[in-house]
Amino acid sequence: MNIGTIQAYAYFFFVAFLVIVLYSYIYHLYSSQRKGKRDYEKYSNIALNDDITDQPVEDISKND
Amino acid sequence: MENRPLEYDYTVAKMFMLTTVLLGIVGMLVGVILAWEMAFPAVNTIAGSGLAEYTNFSRLRPLHTDAVIFGFTLSGIWSTWYYVGQRVLKVSMAESKFLMFLGKLHFGLYLLVVVSVVVSLLLGVTTSKEYAEFEWPIDIAVVVVWVTWGMSIFGLIGIRREKSLYISIWYYIATFLGIAMLYLFNNMEIPTFFASGGIGAWYHSVSMYSGTNDALVQWWYGHNAVAFGFTVPIVAMIYYFLPKESGQAVYSYKLSLLAFWGLMFVYLWAGGHHLIYSTVPDWMQTMGSVFSVVLILPSWGSAINMLLTMKGEWQQVAASPLIKFMILASTFYMFSTLEGPIQAIKSVNALAHFTDWIVGHVHDGVLGWVAFMIMASLFHMAPRVFKREIYSKSLMNTQFWIQTLGVVLYFTSMWIAGITQGMMWRAHDEFGNLAYSFIDTVAVLHPYFTIRAVGGTLYFLGMFLFAFNMYKTMTSSRRVEESELQNASPMGA
Amino acid sequence: MFHWLEKHPFFFAVAVFVTIAFAGLIEILPNFAEASRPVIGTKPYSTLELAGRHVYIKNSCNACHSQLVRPFKSETDRYGHYSLSGEYAYDRPFLWGSKRTGPDLMRVGNYRTTDWHENHMKDPSGVVPGSIMPAYTWMFKNTADIDTAYAEQITVNKVFNTPYNQELPMADGTKATVKMAATLDEAHADALAEAKVIAADMKDQDVKDAVEAGQIPEIVALIAYLNSLK
Repeated sequence: MNIGTIQAYAYFFFVAFLVIVLYSYIYHLYSSQRKGKRDYEKYSNIALNDDITDQPVEDISKND
Repeated sequence: MENRPLEYDYTVAKMFMLTTVLLGIVGMLVGVILAWEMAFPAVNTIAGSGLAEYTNFSRLRPLHTDAVIFGFTLSGIWSTWYYVGQRVLKVSMAESKFLMFLGKLHFGLYLLVVVSVVVSLLLGVTTSKEYAEFEWPIDIAVVVVWVTWGMSIFGLIGIRREKSLYISIWYYIATFLGIAMLYLFNNMEIPTFFASGGIGAWYHSVSMYSGTNDALVQWWYGHNAVAFGFTVPIVAMIYYFLPKESGQAVYSYKLSLLAFWGLMFVYLWAGGHHLIYSTVPDWMQTMGSVFSVVLILPSWGSAINMLLTMKGEWQQVAASPLIKFMILASTFYMFSTLEGPIQAIKSVNALAHFTDWIVGHVHDGVLGWVAFMIMASLFHMAPRVFKREIYSKSLMNTQFWIQTLGVVLYFTSMWIAGITQGMMWRAHDEFGNLAYSFIDTVAVLHPYFTIRAVGGTLYFLGMFLFAFNMYKTMTSSRRVEESELQNASPMGA
Repeated sequence: MFHWLEKHPFFFAVAVFVTIAFAGLIEILPNFAEASRPVIGTKPYSTLELAGRHVYIKNSCNACHSQLVRPFKSETDRYGHYSLSGEYAYDRPFLWGSKRTGPDLMRVGNYRTTDWHENHMKDPSGVVPGSIMPAYTWMFKNTADIDTAYAEQITVNKVFNTPYNQELPMADGTKATVKMAATLDEAHADALAEAKVIAADMKDQDVKDAVEAGQIPEIVALIAYLNSLK
């Protein structure tokens, strides 16, 4: 097995790994939103309600 | 004074708005001069042959690119940062004397750098590396400016009320870090004056890298300066200004998360596409080519997210010129992030490289996406920072159509010019000899150069309408109440 | 995972930095030792050539002219042998350019002469009808900066071991030595001697007079540089 073959295998598995990570992350994002574990979409309101008097979406003093 | 309610403080944002408009005019004026010089070489001596050294195409060309990148665009990025940053972190600059001072220092130092860049480039003091032409004393000043901005970003984040960072802030942070890394590595140079014990020009330096390595570092920088100057911070703007102006929440926050990390991971790999068929190793060229194509995904992720944000609200595009600007900008973003990868495919690159098609690509990106988005951002900010309505809606509409026409003329003519020239360079006759001499391939471009110059001039004209509209907004437009500033910006007829 | 980072700006910044620095590490570093080895026949620039290279850079000639011949028949027919990495070993900075508004100059020294350049720089469209290149008349008046060129020679010799005053193998089997002067005065004298050879082939009387009087106009240095591109 020469270095080129090893690189090719390493490349293949690295790409496969990244694809799995990507898709499982997408799955994780959408399933936790659907099950109500976490609401990602509420953060969009940071831009919409951005007057200095508006209530922050998540206050800095609160721990998560 | 004591009992006045807390407000966002836009002092620094206004300062950078001013330089955005001014340097935009300067950069585009130089660009228009260059375009006419290519169509009609007599323009090179427009100020007389005595001053030809300073009005000549080659001397002005770096001034054009740098004025647009580091003048217009960077000012735009900073003016929006000093506006958006406060708002999405829900903290006012007025709350910290230190941050206020830092912001003003940032602007002051930036002005100094701008002046020294203009003077030095006109005098021909340059390192020749594209978008990194500045000699070492200016490089050091640039680093100081950059660090000042970094302190301002993280200072403001440090005193924020909103726990989570909004999408735009991610992109601003990435801009800061990306450019810092790239700029430092690409500008590694040794001042010859000190290394030689005091001989020659004090400002002259020699690159740490030579030949192929220098090219590799330069285009790793050059490509990604585009990434982190023309893409990342502009995406930051659209993620804030489009939802805010339209009153629609971002279509999918989750998609923005994926698009951001995807973009961060993929973008840096694509620099190699500037060096296809050069003397850098093959695997790097291939990698640059492949990743450029992959780059379509995260780019389109953001662009589609923006277009879908308008779902069900498309009547706003017809109604508001401001929304028009932003939708056209994200459309041009999709367009040029598709065009770029196509040019990065090896066989296409063999034809397109060194031709005007590349110039066309840069300009549909910068004129259509970057500049449109920056002007839209400034239009949105103007009523809020000046507490006056936008002076004229019809003027905005006029500007929109003039500039759109300008961009279309620009990139179509450059496509034809580039492909024509590329084909002529490689054409052989039946005996296997070159079919055309080089000058044949230049002469044939004249009509396209002329059309391009007209397109550029139209865009430049639009820039004046923009400046005029902003000036009137600032000085004599109707004053507005806080309640009118919720979403859609108030505009006069 | 990533969402957590948004609430922790410091870690967010670190994560972004790692993600973007990754590509550079893999793509750029491995090539460094490999590419900087000069090929046989590559020489460092003489003082006058280097001063000419500075004139080339000062006027951004690289904005319109490339110095990179790609490995296609149409390019090797037009410009000569395709470029090799080692040929650029002493190019700091590289001058490949990114746009060919004018032709490639990688090997222009093989097919253009001093008097061609002289006429062409004065009046490009007079030599090449239809040329859109502007004239560079000020190069006939401005004086080349030999001091800075010499300072650069010292710097690259000291810092990067650029081989001055050493015998280097040439393609035809002979040896060549590029001299770096020991003192600034000597550097001026050497550059002037080189300049005289070039000025002898030129017609412009002002340039000839200047060189006779010990001055080196920019055009002479530039032509020395262009002639060295082979």
